[in-house]
Amino acid sequence: MKLNIKSLNYSTILTICLIVVLTILGELSESFKTFLTSITGHHWVTKGVFSSIFFVIIYFLISRTNKDGAELTRQVIYTIIAAVLSAIIIFWFYVLHFVS
Amino acid sequence: MANPLVAMHAMAGILSIFAFLLVFVELLSPGEKTIKRVKIFALIGTILIFISWIIGGYYYLTYYGPDVKPAIKEGSNPWIHSVIMETKEHIFLFLPFLAILTTGIIFSYSNLLKNNKAKSSVLLLCALIILLGLAIAGMGYFISAGARAVGVG
Repeated sequence: MKLNIKSLNYSTILTICLIVVLTILGELSESFKTFLTSITGHHWVTKGVFSSIFFVIIYFLISRTNKDGAELTRQVIYTIIAAVLSAIIIFWFYVLHFVS
Repeated sequence: MANPLVAMHAMAGILSIFAFLLVFVELLSPGEKTIKRVKIFALIGTILIFISWIIGGYYYLTYYGPDVKPAIKEGSNPWIHSVIMETKEHIFLFLPFLAILTTGIIFSYSNLLKNNKAKSSVLLLCALIILLGLAIAGMGYFISAGARAVGVG
């Protein structure tokens, strides 16, 4: 099995960013949260479904336009930075959201 | 008594962390059958994350949301839901994709053990999955303790 790892890296980064955006928007806008809830019955489930579909679509879109290349370690480091920063952003967002 | 779904969710999560820990350890000290074992552990770890996701999600929608969440929010430690649970449930969503990426690299590089870039990439991703997984498990402990404190855990 040979996957396009460059595309897989970028789709992972973009999916993590999407999760952060959906999470924060959902908390800041009640109408957006209601929209997310209306799709599956719960906003968290919709976020999971959206993220999964988005991940697959982005992987195939990037795979079609980008050949798998070198610099694997650098791509993975970008993914790790994105994941760690996103986790910190989500945590601090909820801390501030709670105290405000 | 704790809901058995919580135990199943936590067990699947912990075992998935353990599977990626085994991938990490195998790659640090490779042997003859390392590549075969690494593929199996990564695949098992990824499947377990999905199982934990499904069980946790079912519990969240069926029991936590209607019963536990309101009790915690009305108790003396509402931050356990508002900060810890909210953070946990959203950071958890990163893990399936990180696991797919890690497993994808392992299966795509047949020369994983000789390719230092691929090997170090997998090691870094495994470390991230293990650390995020442990953080999430710790948050799960807080939530269970919070639920017990208000008599719904």
